Amino acid sequence: MTLIGSDLTPYLALILLGVLPTEIWRWLALVVGRGLDESSEILVWVRAVATATLAAVVAKLAFFPAGALAALPLGWRAGAFVAGLAAYFLGRKSVLFGVLAAEAVIVGSAWWLGVR
Amino acid sequence: MNAPNPPYVPLSQAAWYRRGLRASAALPAVILAATFIGIGSVCADYGMPLAWALLATLLIWAGPAHLILVGGLGSGASWVALALTVGLSSVRLLPMVVSLLPYLRLKDRHPLIAALCAHMVAISIWVEGLRLLPQVDAEGRVPFFLGLGTGLLASAVGSTAVGYGLAGIIPNAFAAGLLFLTPIFFLLSLFTTARMLSDRLAIGIGFFGLLLASLAGDGLELLYAGLGGGTLAYALGRIRRARAVS
Repeated sequence: MTLIGSDLTPYLALILLGVLPTEIWRWLALVVGRGLDESSEILVWVRAVATATLAAVVAKLAFFPAGALAALPLGWRAGAFVAGLAAYFLGRKSVLFGVLAAEAVIVGSAWWLGVR
Repeated sequence: MNAPNPPYVPLSQAAWYRRGLRASAALPAVILAATFIGIGSVCADYGMPLAWALLATLLIWAGPAHLILVGGLGSGASWVALALTVGLSSVRLLPMVVSLLPYLRLKDRHPLIAALCAHMVAISIWVEGLRLLPQVDAEGRVPFFLGLGTGLLASAVGSTAVGYGLAGIIPNAFAAGLLFLTPIFFLLSLFTTARMLSDRLAIGIGFFGLLLASLAGDGLELLYAGLGGGTLAYALGRIRRARAVS
């Protein structure tokens, strides 16, 4: 039983901690979303919270990272954001330009610093 | 629509589905694939089974939530804190689904089809959906959207497997680059989709708020920066709108 339990634990965690907390927002949107005007105050607030949360997630993923990104000094990760944003706005809001510039800083600095 | 024999043969639902599938082969699918190569390799690094990594891509279908879950399970975070953090990182899906609903016209569809469409919603298909759906005939939108979603999901699941297999083989410099794709792509997408002052304020307050809130060290930084920061951004935006009117 213990063996089965330990084998299934990651899958239980996947459903309870990964799938349900994510899917609930999609389902909730179907329930509350019909007939909700896109410019209603409640939706403006929900969008502000969603945007702030996503921006916070971005900062969390970059500054408290998992895996290989953690080996790169923090200053380079911050520099990649600056380069990405600069290229995005200079390139007339091109997501592709921004992503490429940021990636050049990350991969280039990691290679140069010997993070291999 | 009312004529029993229309003069032209409209596209069948299956044909719309195939069109959606074909439309999925574009830049977002490439960024998505690279992102999930990174996520797949992180899953392998943390010792998760391959089947777990693939199921997580298919069922969570949200990069940040996926990464937070793997990292949290790997570092032994508490389940309650982890569920809360994952849940907060996915709140964005609510307004994203709501804003796609007027394009999809789901009211005549089976609830399961509606749930499937809602499940497909993630940043990549949201951006593509808002761009492409207006060009699709009303009755073809649901199958088109499902085709688009199938293509993007298949690309992501395949890439997860590739990344899982490449873990430890990809030079770390590239692995770092793949892992940075999610944050930079999401950040730039936020600027692309921000419509009001409150949205733009929320980007800055959420980003810097997280750094400030993580000083508290209680694991609730996403709650403070997201719920608190977002509400602050909304309030500031509303005050500004009120002043503009008066």
